[in-house]
Formats: sequence, structure tokens, C-alpha cells
Amino acid sequence: MRRYSYHKPQTIEDALRLKNEKTGAVYIAGGTDVMVQIKDRELRPSAMISLRNIPDLARIKVNGGARIGALTTIADIIRHPTLGQAFPVLMEAARRIGSVQIRNVATIGGNLCNCSPCADMALPLLVLEAKVRLRGSDTTREVSIEDFFQGPGESCLLADEIMTDILLDRSDENAVAVFMKKGRVQMDLAVASVAALLDMEGDLCRKARIAAGSVAPVPLRLRAVEEKLEGSILSEKMIRKAQELSKNSVSPITDIRSTEDYRRQVVGVFVKRSLEKALTWSQQ
Amino acid sequence: MRREISFFLNGSEVKVAAMDHMRLIDILRDTLNLTGTKEGCGEGECGACTVIVDGQAVNSCLYPVFEVEGKKVVTIEGLQEPENRLSLLQQAFVNSGAIQCGFCTPGMILSAKALLDSNPNPTEAQIRDALQGNLCRCTGYVQIIEAVKKAAINIRDSE
Amino acid sequence: MNNFSHIGKKVSRPDGADKAAGRALYIQDLTRPGMLYGKIKFSEFPHARIKNIDTSKAERLPGVKAVITAYNTPEIRIGFLRDNFALKKDKVRQYRDEVAAVAAIDPEIAEEAADQIEVEYEPLPGIFSPEEAMKEGAPLIHEVDPRGRERTNNILPLKFHHESGDLESGKQATKFVVQGQYSTPLVQQSCMGTAGCIAEFDMNNNLTLWAKTQIPFLAQRDFNRALNDMGLRGKNTRIIIPALGGGFGTGLDTHAYEYIAILLAYRTGHPVKILYTRDEEFSYLSPRQSSQTKINQGCDAKGKLTFRSVDVLQDNGAYTSWGATYPSVMMLPATSLYRVSNVYFDAKLVYTNNTYCQAMRGYGNPEHCWALESNMDELAEQAGFDPYEFRLINSNKPNETTPMGLKISTCGLEESLKSVAKKLDWAKKHGKGKQRGVGMASLIHVGGGGRIYRSDASGLILKLDDFGNVNVYHGGVEMGQGLHAVLTLAVAESLGVRPDKVFINPTDTGTCPWDVGTHASRGSFMAGNTAILAAKKLRSQIFRLAEDVFPEEVHKNLKKHKTKNPDYEPPEFDVREAATEERFELKDGFIFLKDAPDEPWLRLELGRFLRTIHFRDQGQMLTAEVFYDPPNERPDFEKGLGNISSTYVFGTQGAEVEVDTETGEVKILRMAAAHDVGKVLDPEGLRGQIYGALAQGIGYALYEELQTKNGKIQNTNFRDYKIPTIQELDFPIDLEFIETNDSFGPFGAKGVAEPGLVPTAPAIANAIYDAVGVRIPDLPITPEKVLSALKNLNKQTEKRRTAK
Repeated sequence: MRRYSYHKPQTIEDALRLKNEKTGAVYIAGGTDVMVQIKDRELRPSAMISLRNIPDLARIKVNGGARIGALTTIADIIRHPTLGQAFPVLMEAARRIGSVQIRNVATIGGNLCNCSPCADMALPLLVLEAKVRLRGSDTTREVSIEDFFQGPGESCLLADEIMTDILLDRSDENAVAVFMKKGRVQMDLAVASVAALLDMEGDLCRKARIAAGSVAPVPLRLRAVEEKLEGSILSEKMIRKAQELSKNSVSPITDIRSTEDYRRQVVGVFVKRSLEKALTWSQQ
Repeated sequence: MRREISFFLNGSEVKVAAMDHMRLIDILRDTLNLTGTKEGCGEGECGACTVIVDGQAVNSCLYPVFEVEGKKVVTIEGLQEPENRLSLLQQAFVNSGAIQCGFCTPGMILSAKALLDSNPNPTEAQIRDALQGNLCRCTGYVQIIEAVKKAAINIRDSE
Repeated sequence: MNNFSHIGKKVSRPDGADKAAGRALYIQDLTRPGMLYGKIKFSEFPHARIKNIDTSKAERLPGVKAVITAYNTPEIRIGFLRDNFALKKDKVRQYRDEVAAVAAIDPEIAEEAADQIEVEYEPLPGIFSPEEAMKEGAPLIHEVDPRGRERTNNILPLKFHHESGDLESGKQATKFVVQGQYSTPLVQQSCMGTAGCIAEFDMNNNLTLWAKTQIPFLAQRDFNRALNDMGLRGKNTRIIIPALGGGFGTGLDTHAYEYIAILLAYRTGHPVKILYTRDEEFSYLSPRQSSQTKINQGCDAKGKLTFRSVDVLQDNGAYTSWGATYPSVMMLPATSLYRVSNVYFDAKLVYTNNTYCQAMRGYGNPEHCWALESNMDELAEQAGFDPYEFRLINSNKPNETTPMGLKISTCGLEESLKSVAKKLDWAKKHGKGKQRGVGMASLIHVGGGGRIYRSDASGLILKLDDFGNVNVYHGGVEMGQGLHAVLTLAVAESLGVRPDKVFINPTDTGTCPWDVGTHASRGSFMAGNTAILAAKKLRSQIFRLAEDVFPEEVHKNLKKHKTKNPDYEPPEFDVREAATEERFELKDGFIFLKDAPDEPWLRLELGRFLRTIHFRDQGQMLTAEVFYDPPNERPDFEKGLGNISSTYVFGTQGAEVEVDTETGEVKILRMAAAHDVGKVLDPEGLRGQIYGALAQGIGYALYEELQTKNGKIQNTNFRDYKIPTIQELDFPIDLEFIETNDSFGPFGAKGVAEPGLVPTAPAIANAIYDAVGVRIPDLPITPEKVLSALKNLNKQTEKRRTAK
């Protein structure tokens, strides 16, 4: 039966203490994943430790770079007056998550810690080369977002660790930011998604950061594609090459949502369109 | 074991005894007997359970009850005006043919209310975005959008 | 005839306010004192022998009041072929099979107890396609038939067949022919309110069932039979219907869970509620049956259809419900959509270990229209005709009889085709390619009842009270479609009272007259016609009595008026002389004489009239009852002949789409729909029905499919079974109602609850073909399929190019 005790620590220390005290306890952020897992009986905790009442965990600071508290809701990220301007690719992804009801409670930390290969917030953070701060009872460490994802549903979080912040360096304001997501319907988990940050000089691509979601065990940086693009003119031929390379850089599966072949196709098309968009923008 | 929780419901403070694992929808429907909020899926996909917490539309089926401590909750029962009158928003739904089986209606109206409260003059795209998380199998949504547009006008005119 | 007071006018539905206030009570919201909660344990295999069921752990769980299986309850056979059982014994034939059930004091304990029931199975080889099931030596899903006779194969003993004209000579006269094979998947009705019921026995062992059903009286019959099986011979079932969170066909059969609730209620002596969770609804409620259709259709050089040959193969699943009778409705478009003599139709149904299926809106028509209207476009292309022109050439016309014997009275098909072509700017937009295209498809459906049973009747009682209120008792079911709104309007209009004086009572077999059920789009048709007939009776009674009462009462009125206005001179008019039955009228709740001067004292308020006739010696109260069975006939489905409905509806839908050739995504830019409705009764209600059905049609076309793996449904939630959200309907829909004013229909109206989703999918498919030249014959048209088809098309084009 779905019975558990519910705790609302007011500090990180209290949260960590509770986690260590209570066997079978899980952390809960917005609950949009955890509550469903409990309903489906995938998760049977004996205690729930809510992180929603720790003010430190929900602050956003933008000063060139940004420090986003892990418990910041997706809605608050969208609403923030300056975060979107500084990091448009983050905003694009946030807007495509779920519905209003979901965005009002779902958190960026929760989205990441759920470790789905579809995690919408993972892609912009990958191309922004974000770091996440993890805090345990004895440790505080920073890990690159890329290293955070270990496998489907698997992060590098240790037993009691809480993700406290997402850290972003100053974003390149000249880079073209693109986020593309394909679902079966508009509001959906991604069947395939791509985020790109492209720094252009005319039709020369100076810097490329591209990430793809739902096409590998983890959200993935397409480094081979980035390397190919950096320092190259974005000719039609180059764009086609990048498209093909993208398709070959991912390892999607066939599941009830889509097929391996289709996901591959879509990633290629999204990369192609991201590049075309960057080209158009920079030629203006 | 039940613990007491207090929050504001439709403008008044309530104190109820809740069990830790209960969801907001359980307290509303089972403890407080307010059956207007419906459970359509229990997984945050259909929006039938939508209520407003501190001005924000949320799925009450995913909301652990103890998170609502001290917060302001609005359910469909709270929209009604004294002497059995419907609010302008509810009336617009009734007048626009936006209600068929009615199961999605309370959640749909509350999502619309959350929208109009923060954005009194929404575009059609904004209406769609606000109601995207409320599934309806009966109406095809066209008259729902008409209802929200009409309500927006009526509410503005009444102020 | 067309000066209606209420018909066709904008009116709020009577249940709208309560629903907007969250006050309507659905099965979800109902409780009864002492109520227990039931949970069912379902099979863990698609096909297996049941070796043992150990319920001991479940029984010991505190809060559990009963655990039942087929081994400790009387056998109850269900389904019209009697091949199903409330609880399964010896064998399970699908993942859905109900193996045991628990009643407990709360749902969580019941769920826990169901989990603790241990069932030992011996798995048997499973069969998951009709082809497999028909193979030589295939394991039998049912080893014996309901009479205990040995079965030799998995083919159902149901025959749906039609042959008309001369197929051979039709083929001789053919210049162009196209054969195609089309399929549709399992689709879930997806009511927002899930299935459930409360069963309660009184101390006389009569049963009351609060049910989510569309067939209260047929259900009563089914449950009375079950009571018989339970040893409660002669006891009665009363079905009460609360607000329903949708129907769409889910309520057209009685379900195992209902019988189980009844068994648990009897065993425990408490009311028992069973309510499906969304996961259970997807996994264990019968969906829309899939279909496989082979069509062979030909035409002559002038584009006139010369023959049509149809073969249907149905995966019936493990047991038989109304999904098995889809071919009876498929026969309608197969024989009668467009004029074609020389028709062959045959359907075969086969048992498999897949889920069995029930009715869903359209009931075989969307399935067949998908095949037929896709094929029509292919044939048109083959013969060198524009698909719109092709349809006009072959259009049905009013007052014709079709090969199946359908007597078409009014027919708005031609108007609907022209309307849609105009709305879509057809001439300009068709045949342009460049990833944008337009397509259309039409439909025929029953519009005046549908005689699939021996009776197609509905009753109605109108009971007047002392206040001029009309209490209505009608056995039709309001499931959101607006039946009560139409009923209110029809009673108000035909009787002559204001709609707010009409009160519809809950549908209850204990109080309402018999009704075969709310299906086949018959709701409004029957409500309207019975209202007209009953109102006529009442008016007759009222006007006869008014001959005496009216003159007396208006005389009193005049006296009172004169007292207040002493100078008043009444006009010359002999009330007593004029007061004869034929000269009376009742409108807006006032009785008056048609040819009398328009003076307020010359009108008698209905309530006052009723009190006058009531509170006197040998006083009277007025009630009228009708039982109406429309002029249609039950077809012989083995011959495919019979005028199943009193009248038929037609319509056309069209779509303009844009196809992204890189991702295969189909974007609907706009849609047009023109429906022959006879007469618009409730404008907002009708719009809602068409938009809602159209949305379901779009889901059918593009998104919806229950995916199964070895008989188990994989996508059992809204996360992975995608129905259209408000975002998917983000294009203009140009909707037109064609009023053909049918003489069979109430105020000229025909039933339109189902047609809205019948032609949607082929219209979209035809538009996709126009846009990018690929035809997807299997629903849903997913981007994966489109992209794959485009790839093949490119390969073929490339092959042809290099071959030159």
C-alpha cells in the first residue's frame, strides 16, 4: 500500500539528516515524476523528504552567468525577468515542458535527477556546458552536466546527495540558440529533441555546441558533429554532412513512442534546421 | 495516523486531519466531500483534477497534501457566487456549449481562471497554451475557446 | 412549421449549470452507506489453464469482506453469444480475464488483497492475429461453444453477407479498377470519466445498480438473468444512471465488472462499488475493434461505379461483444455510400487471445469509410477524374432505395460535397502538390434509429403537475451528448411550455418507460418523436377539458380585470361559443383561443388550469405516455438486406494539410465539414457534437492506437495513448449544417451523434496524398509511416528515372 511519512525540512542539513535517518526515504521536488512512480508502484518509499520548503534551493541569481536553485520551478524559470534573455535556449526548452499545471510545480532539479533520456532541461544545459552542485552530508561537489547523466534513470548522485544548484557561465549573446522537440502531439515527452548553440561569423561557424535527447541512453552532446562544424563554412554540403553525421552519432531505440529509424531521421533534420537557422540569422 | 493540516480553501481557513501519503485531491474529495474536483487519470496527464494553489493551476492528483499547508486553494466550488449564481466564467462555459459530459469541466474552468486572473486579455494562442493540460474527449475544444474569450470580455466589462 | 419558439434557438442545456459548478454527480462521486470497494484480479497470461487460485492471504487481510472466484460463485454467462463469463474458470483467454475479485472497506485494501491472490497458470500458446487463428491446427480459444458442443475452429458463427446485382457483369462493364487493403487499429474510447458501478441489494434481494451504461433496459434484462443464475429467480434489477463522464459506446454492453460487483454485493450484503482507474480502463475495458478490409472497386469510362467487392476480416478477441457486429454497420457504406449496383460484402470474425472489443462511436462505419473513401480516391485517380467530381458523379440522391434496401428519404450528400469543395477552395488547391493538399470524404449513416435488435423503440411519459411543470420520464441516456437538452426543447416546443418548466427525471428503469438504448445516433430522433407524440396526447386532453374550464376561468379573469379597470370595454367575443377543442392553442405555458382577440384576460395559465381540473369533484391530473417504434426493419444480415433506419444522414468532410517531407509530420491547416442534419434542434449542442466527433476522427487519423504485444496492451495511460489536446485542434473548422427537413424526423431532424468522426480519417489521408503523393492504408497515419512511404516513393521515382 502506498503509505509513507511526509517530511518538510526547512534546511538542506535537515533534509540530509532525514535522508540518512530514514531507510527507504526518497527526496521529492515537484512530484510530477515521483508521484507517478508511486502510483505505478515503481517506487515504494517509506518516507518522503520534500525539498520544496528550503528557500536556499529555489533562488535564481543572474550576473553574467547564472546560479539556478535546483528547486526552481519551470514556471519560475520562464517567468524570470532576465534569465530568458541571458539564456534563451533554456527558456525555449522550459516552454516545451508539459502543461501549465506541470510547469507550476516541476523543478529543473527534478527534471535532471529523474535522468530520463528525454529530459527537456538537459539539452540546453549540455550546450551551455553547465555544472551542477551536489551536496551530501559530508561532501559538496560540482559535476559537469555531462558527467551527471550515467544511464537511463541513473545519475551520479550518491546515496543522500541533493542537487542544490545549476551553474551556468556567461552565455555567448551572439550565439544562435535553437531548441527543437518532436512529440507525438504538442504536449508530449520528446520522441527526439535537439538543442544547439551556434556562434557564427557570417557563414563561418566559430563554435558549435549541439545536444540531442531521446536518442541515446542519456542526453547526449554530439561532439563529433561539433568538431566537424567548428571552423567550417556552413555550405549546403557541410550542413548535409553534419546531418548525416548526427544520425550516425546517436543510438536511439524503438519503443512504444517511436522507432529507431525515425528518431535518427529527426535528429538529423533538427541539426540541419538548426544550422540553417543559424546561417539565416547570421546573414542578416 | 492523521495529522492536522490547515490551509485556506475557497476563501476560508480549514483545518483537517490528513494522512501523510494523501494527495490534495484525496483531502478535497474524500475528507472534505468536495467532489467537484475529478480524478481522470491520477498521473497529471488529463488535468481533470486541476485546482488553483496560490494563484497557480496545479494537478491536485500529484500534489502531496502537506505541501498545501498555509496556502490558498481554490476549487470549482469556490467560484460560485452567493445565492446560487455562477461566476461569469462558469456562465460563459454554460452559454457557449463548452460543456458536454462535464467531467473535464471543473478542471478546464480552473485552468481558464488561472489564466484570466493573470492575463485578462489573452490571445487564442495563450488560451491554448493555458488549457493544453486539460483533456476533453467530448467537445473538440472549439466552444471552450469561445467560452474563455467571451468570459474575458464579460469580466473586463463588469469591472 | 418553421416558426419554432425553441427549436433551432440558442439555449443552455439544463445540466450545464450544475456541471459548471462541479455539482453534477458521477459514478466517481457516489457513495452508499456501508459501501465496500471492489477490485478485480486479472489474468497474467493471454492464454493459459488455471491450475489453482489461492485466496487465503487475501481473505486474511484486515478490512477484506469477501474474495470470490468462479469456483465459489454460480456461473454467469455474459455477452450476446454467451461465450463470456463474469469470472473465469479453467482457462484464461486474454490478459483481461477476470480471475478473482475482492470487496474491502477501502480501495487500497482491496487493491492490496487482489495483489495477494496467487494464481497458478499453465501457459498455452497464444494466438494474436486472425490469420494465425485460422491456420490449420491452431489452438482453439474456445474448445466448446456455449451449448457445450465441440468447436472445430476459431471462426465465429456470425454471418454478415450481402450480394446484389451481378458482380460478373459489373466487372465486365468496368474500365478502371482498384484493389486496396486497409486496416484500422484498436482504439480506446477514452471517456474522461472511467467505468464503474455500485451494486446494492435490498433485503428482499432486489438489486439496484448505479451504472455507467447506455442500455439501462437491456442491462436490466442481462442482470435479471444473472440474478436467476445466482438462484434469485424472479428478483428484479433496477438501473439508475447518474451523470456520466462520457459514453462513446462503452456503455452498450454489460461488463464482467458489473456482474462481479453484483456477486460481491450479494456475498457481503453491502453495496459494492467498482471503479476503474485510468490504467484499468486502458487495460481492461473493451476498446474499439480493429479492422482489416479488402476493397475491390471499379468504374466505367464515364466514372460511374460498376461494382464493389468487400472482404472484411475481424480480430474478434477472446470473447464476443458488440465489436463483433461492426460488419452490420459496415454494410451500410459498403452497399449504399454512392450509387453502385453489383455489390459483394462478406465479413469473417475470428477468435484470438487479443482483447475483445465493444462499441465505439460510428460502430464499423469509420472503419469501413476509411477503406472505402481511400479507395474511391485511388479509383478516381486511376480513371482520370478529380476525386470531388468522381464523388458527384456517383452521389446518392433523395428518395432512392439502395442495394441493401435502405430507403433514402432526404439526402444532402450532393450539397455537402459542393459545400466542402467550396470551403476548401478545391479547384485552386487540389492537384498542386508542393507539400500542400486537399482531400475529402463522405459518409452515410443511420439517422432515424437503427434496428439492430428486435425492438428499436423508446417510450416517454409526460406528467403535468399543479404548477404547469412538465415532469419527463424517458429511458434515453444523457452521456454528455446533449440528449436532455434536446428532450427539453422538444417537449417545450411540442407541448407549448417554456423550457424552464420542463424537468427531465434521471434515467431509471424503475420509473422510465422502456428504451432499447442510446446508440446508433438515435437519441434526439427518439426523444423528439416521442415528445411530439406525447405532447399531442396531452394537448388533446387539455383542450378537451378546456372546453368547460376555459370559459369559466377567463370570465373570472375578466371580472378581476374590470375591477381594476372599471372603464374597460371588452371586445365582442363569445368565449363559450368559441371554446372548442380545435380552436385552442397552448404556447409558453398559456392556453388561449387561436382566433380570439389578444387580451391578457383571454389567456389561461397552464398551472392554474391544471389546479382547476385537479381540485374539484372527480378531479383529474394529466399524464401522457407513448411507446414509439420507428418505421424501420431489422435487416437479415446474412443476406445484407433491410431498411435498418427510418432515415439516413449524409455528409462530407474535407481537410487541407501540409506535410513536412523531412519529418513526415502532417499539419492540418484547416477543415471543412458539411453535415446533412435534417433540422438543427439545438445549435450549440450540434456544433459540439460535430467538433467533438471530428476531434476523435483526427485522433483516429493521426495519433491513436492501442499497441499490443502478445495480447497485452502496452500503452495504458494518457502519456502514451495520445488523444488530441486543445493544441491539436488549432486550425479553423468551417462547419455547415444542411437542413433537408426530413419528414420522419422530429421537426425534420435526423440523428447526428456519430457522423462527425466517420469520414475524418480518409479526408485527411486523401489530402496527404494530394500533398505528397503517398497513401497510408493503415491507421494511424504517423509521421513514421509518412516518412517511410516518402522514402519508398523517392526510391521508386529514382528507380524509374534511372531505368529510363
